[in-house]
Amino acid sequence: MAIIQGFLYVLHPSHFPFLFLGVAGGIIVGAIPGLTGSVGIILLLPFIYQLDASTAIVMLCGMFCGAIYGGSISAILISIPGTPSAAATVLDGYPLAQKGEAGKAIGIATIASTTGGIISTFCLMFIAPQLARFALKFGPEEYFALMIFGLTIIASVSGESLVKGLISGFFGLLIATIGLDPITGYARFSFNIPNLMTGFPLLPVLIGLFAISQIFIQLEAVGEKSRHFRQKIKNVLPSFKELKRLSTVIIASSFLGTFIGIIPGTGGTIASFLAYSEAKRWSKNPESFGKGNIIGVAAPEAANNGTTGGAMVPLLSLGIPGDVITAVMLGALLLIGIRPGPLLFKEHPEIINSIFAGMLLANVLILLLGILSVRLFPQVLRTPAAILFPVIFTLCFLGAFSLNNSVYDMFIALVFGIIGYIMRKNNFPAAPVVLGVVLGPIAEDELGRALIISHGDWTVLFQSPLAIFFYVISIFSLLSSLKRQFSIHSKTK
Amino acid sequence: MAKKEILLSIIFMIISMTIYILTYQFPQQTVALSPAVFPRFVSACLFILSVALLIQGIAGVKKDSEQKKVQSTIYKVFILKLLLMILLAFFYTRILPIAGYAVATPPFVAGAMLLFNEKRGIWIIAVSIITTALLYILFRIVFKIPLPRFSLF
Repeated sequence: MAIIQGFLYVLHPSHFPFLFLGVAGGIIVGAIPGLTGSVGIILLLPFIYQLDASTAIVMLCGMFCGAIYGGSISAILISIPGTPSAAATVLDGYPLAQKGEAGKAIGIATIASTTGGIISTFCLMFIAPQLARFALKFGPEEYFALMIFGLTIIASVSGESLVKGLISGFFGLLIATIGLDPITGYARFSFNIPNLMTGFPLLPVLIGLFAISQIFIQLEAVGEKSRHFRQKIKNVLPSFKELKRLSTVIIASSFLGTFIGIIPGTGGTIASFLAYSEAKRWSKNPESFGKGNIIGVAAPEAANNGTTGGAMVPLLSLGIPGDVITAVMLGALLLIGIRPGPLLFKEHPEIINSIFAGMLLANVLILLLGILSVRLFPQVLRTPAAILFPVIFTLCFLGAFSLNNSVYDMFIALVFGIIGYIMRKNNFPAAPVVLGVVLGPIAEDELGRALIISHGDWTVLFQSPLAIFFYVISIFSLLSSLKRQFSIHSKTK
Repeated sequence: MAKKEILLSIIFMIISMTIYILTYQFPQQTVALSPAVFPRFVSACLFILSVALLIQGIAGVKKDSEQKKVQSTIYKVFILKLLLMILLAFFYTRILPIAGYAVATPPFVAGAMLLFNEKRGIWIIAVSIITTALLYILFRIVFKIPLPRFSLF
């Protein structure tokens, strides 16, 4: 069995510590409000360059799973979700903490997250190889259509304003056009500046847009009173009777989260709120929700960690990200020299098996770390901003420098930090920029190849039924985002 | 917000127009994809979206003008801190290759801590030195990533 080889690889003493560090680091960045899984992955990048591809990707997966779980800790203890996907956990998690049952709430969140993560990884192991096998039949025109579909996810992650989200996405695409043209090798918009010939390096762009801009935003919060959790945490494990009562909702929410995660453009926030409302709808005691019902913690936590494996399905098998964090993951994978897609399954099955084994073990580690280190969580939340953010700020610049030993890269990180800050302050989301920067060159490359094969005949793009299918779902994806925007605007009026 | 939207839409319009015009300097390719096609398409879309944002901004100006804008002292202090932070980072990128990691990093960390309202002097000195040492161990010793050294030339 190939998966056993994956387990043997991940459990090897020279690889396992990296998974452990990834999960532990993920839990910490997820738990600290102001830091997200995306920032954690970006801060990890300078180090994982030095590792072999499988170890690097296993560490990234650990960070991804850990961060999604970590968000629940601050949601329960101080009513501030560490990550957006933990927002639904606040509703019942914080009332439980106020009742003196913070330990039990974290225990339930840990068990639900682990179950959600494991179920979704099994679904990933089952679905992704089938989808990848099918995708192997794709030619450049189908790939181009797929990338167009991937780019329509920009609309889904646009946040409050579709126009601003699309502008961010096209701005990202524009950034991606700087440097060598993938077909002719012509240096576009380089103005004979050698550094611009290869375009903007991806790592400093990511560091700037996500991490440095976040530090500038945190600077604004200086002086604000931070919330602390001062109770003693006890009784972490729920009783067997409670676990039995929760088992149905945890399993159902895990599958719901996995299914939502597979759909590109959705993500953990939608999954967790949907699981919460479904659990409330099916409950015999719906009025207890919002007042500290343990089901209200289990359902969103199972669902948001359920999206981890789900979101990896389109990322690994097709090379298109499912949400913001997987968009950053895609950028990270490209940086370490791995291009996700069907060929990865064919040419590097050992990497795929390491990912599957790594994600399963990451969830087991979440269970162990979550239960054993629960009393340390309030200390993590007490980390002073005046120490944390200056340290991260330094780490950002050294990280940007480390890739090419280049001061120019540090400068690029600073410039994109300022751009990212201005954009975020004016409600322009940063995630579409990343999607544009990452998917733009791939789309252009596939378009160029399709046109070379067809001797410049553009109709080739519309001859494949599969390509047409992708165009249709792209239009559907855009229209559904438009519809959502209109409904939000009509509600606010 | 509406005035800022107008300003940003104008900036994006200028960027997209400049990019579009610059593509006319690119060599023409007839067989496959010309290097100009993709940037032209993207800049045209960006221009259209910027116009949409401009219209949105103009519509919003009326609403904004009814609300009296209060620029608090706290906000002004923040802007000053933000500018100082950017300046600090800029000087760090300039000084690092000359002074080297060990000399440039402690003042950088200390400066950032000061801007984050840390007032305890001993704490600032201790954290900036410990951070510099720990990051050196992490980058240089554990991951073997070279860091800039002191150099006069």
